[in-house]
Amino acid sequence: MESLVTNNIRQRPLRALVSMAGVALGVCLVMLFTGLARGQAHDLQRRSSNLRAEILFTRPGALGLTSSTANLSTKYVAELLKIDGVVQAVPAIRYVFQGNKGFGFEQVEGVDWQPYAEMNGLRIIEGRAPQANDEIVMDETKVRESQRTVGDTMGLFGGQPYKIVGVYAPEAEARVKMSLAAMQDALEAPSKCSYILVKVRDGEDPLAMAQRINTALPGNTIQLTRDVMTNIEKQIPFLGVFLRSLVVLAAIVSAFVVMLAMYTTITERTREIGMLKALGASRGYIVSVIEKEALVISVLGLAAGFVISFGAGFLIHRAAGLSFEYSWTWGLAAVLIGIGGGTVGALYPAMRAANLDPVNALSYE
Amino acid sequence: MKTILQAEDLEKIYHVGSVDVPALRGVSLDVAEGEFLAIMGPSGCGKSTLLHLLGGLLTPTRGRIVIDGEDLTAASDAKRTDMRRRKIGFVFQRFNLFPTLTAEGNLRLAERIHAGNSGSGDAERRREVLRLLQIESKMHHKPSELSGGEQQRVALARAVVTRPALVLADEPTGNLDSENSAIVLNMFQEMNYRFNQTIIMITHNPEAAAMCRRIVQMRDGQIVAPGGGIQL
Ligand SMILES: Nc1ncnc2c1ncn2[C@@H]1O[C@H](COP(=O)(O)OP(=O)(O)OP(=O)(O)O)[C@@H](O)[C@H]1O
Ligand SMILES: [Mg+2]
Repeated sequence: MESLVTNNIRQRPLRALVSMAGVALGVCLVMLFTGLARGQAHDLQRRSSNLRAEILFTRPGALGLTSSTANLSTKYVAELLKIDGVVQAVPAIRYVFQGNKGFGFEQVEGVDWQPYAEMNGLRIIEGRAPQANDEIVMDETKVRESQRTVGDTMGLFGGQPYKIVGVYAPEAEARVKMSLAAMQDALEAPSKCSYILVKVRDGEDPLAMAQRINTALPGNTIQLTRDVMTNIEKQIPFLGVFLRSLVVLAAIVSAFVVMLAMYTTITERTREIGMLKALGASRGYIVSVIEKEALVISVLGLAAGFVISFGAGFLIHRAAGLSFEYSWTWGLAAVLIGIGGGTVGALYPAMRAANLDPVNALSYE
Repeated sequence: MKTILQAEDLEKIYHVGSVDVPALRGVSLDVAEGEFLAIMGPSGCGKSTLLHLLGGLLTPTRGRIVIDGEDLTAASDAKRTDMRRRKIGFVFQRFNLFPTLTAEGNLRLAERIHAGNSGSGDAERRREVLRLLQIESKMHHKPSELSGGEQQRVALARAVVTRPALVLADEPTGNLDSENSAIVLNMFQEMNYRFNQTIIMITHNPEAAAMCRRIVQMRDGQIVAPGGGIQL
């Protein structure tokens, strides 16, 4: 059956589309950002879960797995090895920089390949380990995404050429690795590192070991790798606040766009609202007609928003290798934003329409 | 015969800034069920104001209106709207129809609102009305695809399809040429005759008024000639 609601929307397809786009934008903001945050966090987490060291030894102030500072002296390696229960201590430098595709961040690690690979069970599956200061290895994902192979070069640290000499598996931490010496050289930080991975003797309780290390070498930050891993999302500062602000912003955008659209709609249809009143339509009925229209727009905008989000996420993943992971919770938040924003935005115009004076509305030209 | 409308001593003063404009100055009117009544009078004498008051679109400054046994003036805004929904059909001079809906859609919307936003109306009644008004073949047309006369016939159909106690028409032929006026007026007569539909119609056209059984003359916010009384 033809209805006032759908016919009104069809009457002004462009305006309907613009309002839908507003709602869709809100949904996309939420889905893409939260999807990206989760996807990246889980990607980091997966890679760090391949670490076999139980303890991460850093200087205070370093952020742990996303740290970029090399402020820890490698002389602690020897100190750590002296502690009973420590079987391996491997220093590493993590360097984090802006991705060359313009968004996201990338990481490079400097590690002494032999002990690092041994500790974490990494294998060179093609080529060889990095040795000279201009040599790097990559994991398979990076090889695929960067469309490079062994023998190619890659620019790092602002375009310095590095030669790809090998490919390793499985993925672990930073996808690109060079020798510790090469990294120290590049960062001009001789005998420094970001953190030291500590492997404890089988059967030792990592927590007790962490306390023991803390007693022996006080004033440093000692974290359990398993804690760091589960806390990656929390480690990115203000991520939670950022995402929540984004949700609020998205809701406001949706509400505002729908409000503007419905406001112009009721102005344009003043006479029709007068007619509804002459027919004896109650305020509730008039509000419901306008709210239904907003709801239809919101739902369509919502659907478009999801389609665009998934499509864009897929394309960005293909183009830049960033992974997206959508959650039901944020999906639900997006639904609430779209529908809530739309209906709340339409409320003011709807109330205005319902309160119009019928005689004035009927004589409106 | 049953009295469908009783208006007692109606006064309406518009306030424009600090100026008071008295539009009605003590109008009393009784209308019996089945009457077809014309209101005539010079421009600005208060005809539309009276019609709006009778339909509950405006409230009088003073006086009382009882429609079909219900006091309109004592009612709240929501109650007046509700009485309008149940008891009154309006036809205005122009732009009566929802432009996005077809003729039938306009009728169904009125039926829906009349039924309290439920049901799909009385298809039988709808067809009968559209047939009597000879617009059955146009029922899937939008207002923009109808002539002025056809639009007014749809407006009339919409006003009577819900069997209101009272149809109020404000210059329904004011925008039509004489040929279309005649057709629309015939239709008003037809509705009055077939359905015993009570109709109050404002008109400037003496020929139109001549089709009515009673003519009320107004001047300066007052009724100067109440017409030939209630004729049977
Ligand atoms: N909203 C309003 N505010 C102020 N004055 C008004 C308003 N509506 C009508 N009036 C005044 O009230 C008087 C009666 O107006 P009304 O519209 O009832 O006349 P009418 O008999 O219908 O005239 P017409 O034949 O031209 O339609 C006029 O003097 C008019 O200027
Ligand atoms: Mg008038």
